[in-house]
Amino acid sequence: MTASTNRRMKPTPVDGFPTQTSDMQTTTENVIKARFETVKASASDFTTDGPVLNRNAHLQFLLRNLVQGFPARYISQDASQPWLFFWTLQGFSILGVSMDESNKKRAIETILALQHPFGGFAGGPGQFPHLLPTYAAVCALAIVGYPGENGGWDQIDRKKMYNFFMSLKQPDGSFLVSHHGEVDVRGIYCLLVVATMLNILTPELCAGTPEFISSCQTYEGGFGSASFPDWALSNEGYVKDVSAPRPPLGEAHGGYTFCATASWVLLQPYVQTYYPAKSLPQPRIDLHGLLRWATHMQGTDIELGGFRGRTNKLVDGCYSWWVGGCVVLVEGLLGIGAHSEGKHDKEGEDGHEHAWGDVDDSLFNRKALQEYVLIAGQHAAGGLIDKPPKPADAYHTLYCLSGLSAAQHRVVPSEERKTELAAAWVEPAADEDSDELTKALRKRAFVETLAWTEEEGTAVYVGGSANRVNATHPLTDLTVTHATALMAHFYRQAVPQRAAA
Amino acid sequence: MSHVESDEDTGPLLFCERPDWTDVTPIPQYEGVSNPIAPIFYTPEYKDATDYFRGIVKTGETSERVLELTEEIIKMNPAHYSAWQYRYRTLLALNAPLHSELRLMDDFAVNNMKTYQVWHHRRLLITHLTAGSVPAADPFDTAQAELEFIARVLDVDTKNYHTWSYRQWLLAHFDDPALWLGELPYVDDLLQEDVRNNSAWHHRYFVVFGRGSRAQATPAEGAEVSQRETRYVKGKIALAPNNASAWNYLRGILEFAKTPFSSQAEFAQPYTVRRAPWDDDDVIDLDNPKPSSDADLPSVSAMDFLAEAYGRDGGESVTKAVDLWKALANQHDTMRKKYWDFRIKEALEMKKD
Repeated sequence: MTASTNRRMKPTPVDGFPTQTSDMQTTTENVIKARFETVKASASDFTTDGPVLNRNAHLQFLLRNLVQGFPARYISQDASQPWLFFWTLQGFSILGVSMDESNKKRAIETILALQHPFGGFAGGPGQFPHLLPTYAAVCALAIVGYPGENGGWDQIDRKKMYNFFMSLKQPDGSFLVSHHGEVDVRGIYCLLVVATMLNILTPELCAGTPEFISSCQTYEGGFGSASFPDWALSNEGYVKDVSAPRPPLGEAHGGYTFCATASWVLLQPYVQTYYPAKSLPQPRIDLHGLLRWATHMQGTDIELGGFRGRTNKLVDGCYSWWVGGCVVLVEGLLGIGAHSEGKHDKEGEDGHEHAWGDVDDSLFNRKALQEYVLIAGQHAAGGLIDKPPKPADAYHTLYCLSGLSAAQHRVVPSEERKTELAAAWVEPAADEDSDELTKALRKRAFVETLAWTEEEGTAVYVGGSANRVNATHPLTDLTVTHATALMAHFYRQAVPQRAAA
Repeated sequence: MSHVESDEDTGPLLFCERPDWTDVTPIPQYEGVSNPIAPIFYTPEYKDATDYFRGIVKTGETSERVLELTEEIIKMNPAHYSAWQYRYRTLLALNAPLHSELRLMDDFAVNNMKTYQVWHHRRLLITHLTAGSVPAADPFDTAQAELEFIARVLDVDTKNYHTWSYRQWLLAHFDDPALWLGELPYVDDLLQEDVRNNSAWHHRYFVVFGRGSRAQATPAEGAEVSQRETRYVKGKIALAPNNASAWNYLRGILEFAKTPFSSQAEFAQPYTVRRAPWDDDDVIDLDNPKPSSDADLPSVSAMDFLAEAYGRDGGESVTKAVDLWKALANQHDTMRKKYWDFRIKEALEMKKD
């Protein structure tokens, strides 16, 4: 059953009380509905199997951007050049295309030109280092780079990177995105992904960060951009009063919620290693509130199951990843799908009639999200979009494709994989500058991050397997292959093959 | 130079054409990278200004003309965070009048309100202007003027994320009772305008509950505020019963006050059924306003709320919660079927234990 054949496209109720918000909502629903009709009527866009992913058109779009470049309106992205690289290169990866050697070489050279002499990467040559481009640059290097001379990986100055990160650290556990820059959870996510992948995590780097993340959760369950620190701080600049309010700045929002949730997951190796050892009270977030918020961001049938980024705002293709991907992370935190022995442990459950007939335990509507991306998210001329009739851009192209991937594949933190990785772990020989806790933290970070594995037999392809895109690693938005290769290198580990299922 | 400025077709001179910039060596992007990937096709003006910016950064110059250069760049690309950062450092180095910088930024903020840097720059300026034992500007007056400015910007886009977070930071940073005082009437205006504006609801929560015990000194005051807010939001729910923002706010109040959701079960119940028996009923319960006559019932948000109330009560109430969750899963909110099924499974497992 694909929902597109038997859906009830009921408009969102207005309660006879229209406002600007409901007017915009109604207009959008009509636009999406019209698009649905158009796509359904087109033999090339909608076959008997369902909607078609116009793979070639998107590859052409990516190729044009990579080789010919971006038109002048992308001047607004001049300080986000590593993002343009990452969005484009990862778009190729998700579509199953790898770079030829000459383009890889060009890409590595270009990205390395953005490394700042003081550590970290900048948005462009001669610009200042910043956490967001640092994430994008390192991820782009994970895709095109390799170890050794000119390979990009060993040219990353990890020592200076670490010092740059520490220079941004704030007393409340947060980080500035750059010197004189703002604080927000996007930067923290970017920092934690990079520190985890490059094996430069320390307890000092993570200190206070779980508590900061926790303070950004709003009453709606999602996360805002940052929180207000001063009431909890002493004059000397440390957290003095743990019970003092640290209210979130800004409402619950899809982008921040993904970043905060992923940060929370990335911080677990630190929390699990360090807090028991130091007898510290474990920081908490409201996981159930988060799950409720994230699943409620999925639009109804008339919105084709796309995700919105805030309550009462409009669906947008990019939230397919930011919120759809966030549900995946929350499921991991709740231990859903982490069962190690097949899927049979649900059987015989007190005879209650709600049967878990579906192939998986996923808590959002995976089929509907694929339909949104395939029907409302594709631009006829190639590239993917927010919603019709918006133009395609590099950002929406990647995050629509990543969301499609998160809806097709179920990648979960596998207990079996954890055991395999932990058993194969070889204690690094000469890591004399790390104490025992730091060593334990790093091992845990390696094992937990790479334990995310696709669950066998749970892939779902709306429109048929011709629409299959590659699975992505839920924490990094790289393919599992790329994330694994990069981390194996920086942790000096040989990663064991996955045991045959 | 005046003949150039009067000729609209020509625009201002490029920096490479200006006699007073000849001592600066422009640095092109990607020096030494023969064939960069994914290049942006810059306009001549942008390329020129950023080449000179790289030249300035290299020498570390902080002067009046750096302000001119960075202004040109951020006009063309307000997301150029390095230009903002360098501009700020230059302003401080020159001991430049930050008031006029703030005014210069006013129009700029309205036109570029979706840019992080615009708001962050204001925050740096305001902080600097009002810091110290003898501040350059009166903190209260500055904050007051800033709140008015923000309101003008929000007037253009009532849900602008950066603008709202900036307003919240401003209020907390100055933390003056007289500043906080104006916020509830302001939010009320916005909600009268559009009761579905989630940013306004979030702001209301920030203002009322975000300060915790700093705002309500005694438990009695706290209880009074929770009651006032509960009354307020119930009135708004009655106007538009399918408004998730208002239901979320109600949940927020109850969570904050550690009040059981079931305290509002009687209020929520009529919103969870299709029929409206109270239509014939003249009795008006001011504590529990009924859905408006045009309401599309049942409201999914109301069912979600009532199920939560029953589920948390535990015991026999769980059955009632499960019935509501089933109705949501199979009829009223089928998109979230997996979520509602999860809630059922979880509640039944908990009951079993």
